[in-house]
Amino acid sequence: MDWLYEFVRRLRFRLHGARFDQDLAEEMRLHVELRAAEAGDHAAAQRRFGNATQIHESSREAWGWTLLDTLRQDLRYGLRMLASHPGFTATAVLSLAFGIGANTAIFSILDAVMLRSLPVEDPRQLVQIRPGPSGDDEFTNPIWEQVRDHQQAFTGVLAYSSDRFDLAGGGESHFAQGLWVSGNFFRVLGVPAIKGRVFTSDQDRRGSAPSAVISYSFWKRNFSGDASVVGKTVRLNRHAFEIVGVTPPWFHGLDVDQSFDVAIPIACEPILHAGHSSLDERASWWLRILGRLPADESLQQAGDRMRAIAPEIFRATLPGEFPAEIQKEYLTHSFFLQPAATGFSEMGAQYRTALFTLMAITGLVLLIACANIANLLMARAAARQREFSVRMAIGAGRARVVRQLITESLLLAALGAGAGMLLAAWGARLLVHLLSNTSHPLEIDLSPDPRVLAFTLAVAVSTALLFGFAPALRATRIELNQVLKENARAALHGATRFNLSKALVTLQVVLSLVLLVGAGLFLETLRNLLTADPGFTRHNILLIGADVQQTAIPAARRMAVYREIRERLQAIPGVAAAASAMFTPIGRQGWAQPVQPEGMAAGSPRDTLVFLNRVSPGYFQTLRTPLLLGRDFNERDDLHSPKVMLINESAARQFFGAADPLGKTIAVDQNDVYQIVGVVKDTRYNRINEQPRRIAYVACGQDAEPGTSMRFAVRSDVAVGTLIPAVRSAISGVNREISLEIREFETEVSESLLQPRIVALLSSVFGALALLLAMVGLYGITAYAVARRRAEIGVRIALGARPGSVIRLMLRDLALPLAVGISLGLGVSLAAGRLITSLLYGVQPNDPAQLAAAALMLAAAAALAGFLPARRAARLDPMIALREE
Amino acid sequence: MADNPRRDEIPPGTLYMLILRMLARHGQMHGYEIANAIQQVSEDVLQVEEGSLYPALQRMLLKGWVAAEWGVTAGNRRARYYQLTAAGRKQLHTEMSQYQRVSGAIQKILQTA
Repeated sequence: MDWLYEFVRRLRFRLHGARFDQDLAEEMRLHVELRAAEAGDHAAAQRRFGNATQIHESSREAWGWTLLDTLRQDLRYGLRMLASHPGFTATAVLSLAFGIGANTAIFSILDAVMLRSLPVEDPRQLVQIRPGPSGDDEFTNPIWEQVRDHQQAFTGVLAYSSDRFDLAGGGESHFAQGLWVSGNFFRVLGVPAIKGRVFTSDQDRRGSAPSAVISYSFWKRNFSGDASVVGKTVRLNRHAFEIVGVTPPWFHGLDVDQSFDVAIPIACEPILHAGHSSLDERASWWLRILGRLPADESLQQAGDRMRAIAPEIFRATLPGEFPAEIQKEYLTHSFFLQPAATGFSEMGAQYRTALFTLMAITGLVLLIACANIANLLMARAAARQREFSVRMAIGAGRARVVRQLITESLLLAALGAGAGMLLAAWGARLLVHLLSNTSHPLEIDLSPDPRVLAFTLAVAVSTALLFGFAPALRATRIELNQVLKENARAALHGATRFNLSKALVTLQVVLSLVLLVGAGLFLETLRNLLTADPGFTRHNILLIGADVQQTAIPAARRMAVYREIRERLQAIPGVAAAASAMFTPIGRQGWAQPVQPEGMAAGSPRDTLVFLNRVSPGYFQTLRTPLLLGRDFNERDDLHSPKVMLINESAARQFFGAADPLGKTIAVDQNDVYQIVGVVKDTRYNRINEQPRRIAYVACGQDAEPGTSMRFAVRSDVAVGTLIPAVRSAISGVNREISLEIREFETEVSESLLQPRIVALLSSVFGALALLLAMVGLYGITAYAVARRRAEIGVRIALGARPGSVIRLMLRDLALPLAVGISLGLGVSLAAGRLITSLLYGVQPNDPAQLAAAALMLAAAAALAGFLPARRAARLDPMIALREE
Repeated sequence: MADNPRRDEIPPGTLYMLILRMLARHGQMHGYEIANAIQQVSEDVLQVEEGSLYPALQRMLLKGWVAAEWGVTAGNRRARYYQLTAAGRKQLHTEMSQYQRVSGAIQKILQTA
């Protein structure tokens, strides 16, 4: 308790500090005066009393928060120092702000998509059940039902799948981000409803009423936060679902980069997919399964329990219609558990390498910034040597001076970190915005997180210590007398300072070169991707996805409807060509399977794997893919004529070598044999940066069972965007109920190149920043050398040295750090290059041209940075320089 | 600068004890009186550097051993009068018995040596 009273007294002292001071002074004055009156000698009384100021100080200290007081002093002094050198302060704070800001921005994205735990009840207990240790992680509904009903390893299991639902009633689609969830999804996660209720296991019953739980943001956005939303309906793919509840604002689903809008029960799936429901489909793998571990059970134990019931479950769900071989493989499946606390992220999986690369790049930028500031601080510490000596001479301890310097560094770091945080918040948002696109909007929760804060603080503090401590120690390690006795300048020029700063500059050169090489490689990659010939044109093409699922069009009429749409599209004025296809290039979907080409021995399925597409006549002409041999499909290729196929060059080469492929046959299935009538140029199938694939095309007209959706491509000679209204009305003229999604091919292709684009953009920005910082460093040491050697230069000029030779003299100082830095940098680049091979396209990480270009650029920048102060040296007036000395 | 070395001639612990003892005997006193009292009672053997009294008094105020209030001296001057608190009385007792124990022990060593 005593300490509490003491604390209160201290506090009172703080509050009445001035009065306490006055009281003490008065008391002491009284003492001295009384003594003087008694002794009759004021001076003697004072002598006997002692040093009044010091006594006052130490009395004050008794009440002390001394540490606090001196800290405040340090801060005030530090701020004054920073304010009096605005150039230095701005350079330091800005370079730190960029370093810290870039790091924090990238880290906050990394954190959001890969590190942060889901905001659900005890996320560490959540594990995902997978059919294999890697690869696909979804299961079929029959397997899910078995797991749900038979597992005993978990306190609860859930299944879910992401999808999107069309909110529009026909015509152009307006999608909501949707989730298919099992009845206990929210219960197992521990997510309550803030309005209404969440689902229960009742919703797992087949034929349960169409109901929906909506997210907070969807409620706010689409229902304006209507308090009586529960009981209202939301129309998904034109079916009414009754809203039963709203989830809390902190819950965004299990996919961290795609916030859900609407969740509906898996058991309602037949409502949306009438006629081809996946609920009893034993070959449709679409559900992720998660479980919650009991508190006393380990991952291993739960895994053992799950594996024990695996054979029975897979036997019970065996797809009977599949060939024996596939059935045998099916039965070898088992269950694998994996922690799922951080949720799922498509972006995380896709951009993992890119994010880590960017993290490394920004880390290097920060290092360069630190080296720069260390150099700046050292130069300043040298300039302040005299000040330190004076302070130490009048009694400041070395620790006190070092503390002052470190306080200044921490101040810089705090300013840098503060500005960096602002930059980061803005930068991370910008980056997410750049990474996001209309077909796959990213919604990442970037709200400040303790981790991000901790990360920034750690970076800032370690930066401060890194660049504050060494110069602080150096600066105070001086012989007092020597500095005070001698000319201030003499003592500063210890050879060590100069070498340390050269080492720092060398480090900067190394790191900048690495970043420049990286930026060059990424730019080259992007350039290669943009100029690569994908085998089709992406310009002036409109892609239209049409879905007849929710219309009254019977299956038998589909082919005619698709053909009619195609014909109407062709008839639009300004349309040069139009065609339909099952898939358009650079999409996410595809159809791949092993085939049996004529005359080829059945080998491994891998050797005969082809990617297939079903296209209409005019498809190649629309996309401008050259036909190399034979003919295109035509309207006579229908259900009654012999089945025909076109293949691409790669397939022709692989299957038939040098032989003429025309007239040969390829069996897609045993009873499904096609005759090859043409060969087209190779095209990219899913990605621009993929290796050429074997592709085979079959005719739309020969599809016995056309699906519910079809894609159309329209090429125009005019700006293709202006055709959209005409396209829309052409299709609704066929049937108003058809759902549409219209996009420009060019946008789609360029969005597929988003990652290389971002990496190239950011690595160039950071490379330029690094170069700039390195130039500041090089400028600094040259300017410093010029200042140091003024007298010598003066003598040289007086003796007739030409300006050119003076400049050469000054630049010679740079040559060593530059040469060492560049050769080390090339070595590091070669070593680091291997790590980014997967991000490159069409260029090798050890590409000599890239390395040479980066080295040259750096050398030129360095020469420029050194030349400015060197020229100043050459213009020195020898008389002024010598007189100063 | 702030970190000045302490220059108390009497170890602060002992000084506290002396001050406490004087206050216990005389009741209310101001700083000058305390200094004089210590000097008189010790018959000028103990020379307190007079100034060091004040930091000690401040620390004692902080610890709650003494309380202070402003009053008027005989010569009609404003002065701060210190007086013992209950905690101070207890502290005096502790310090004295501790001091006696230590000095007794030292005496014994000196006698036997």
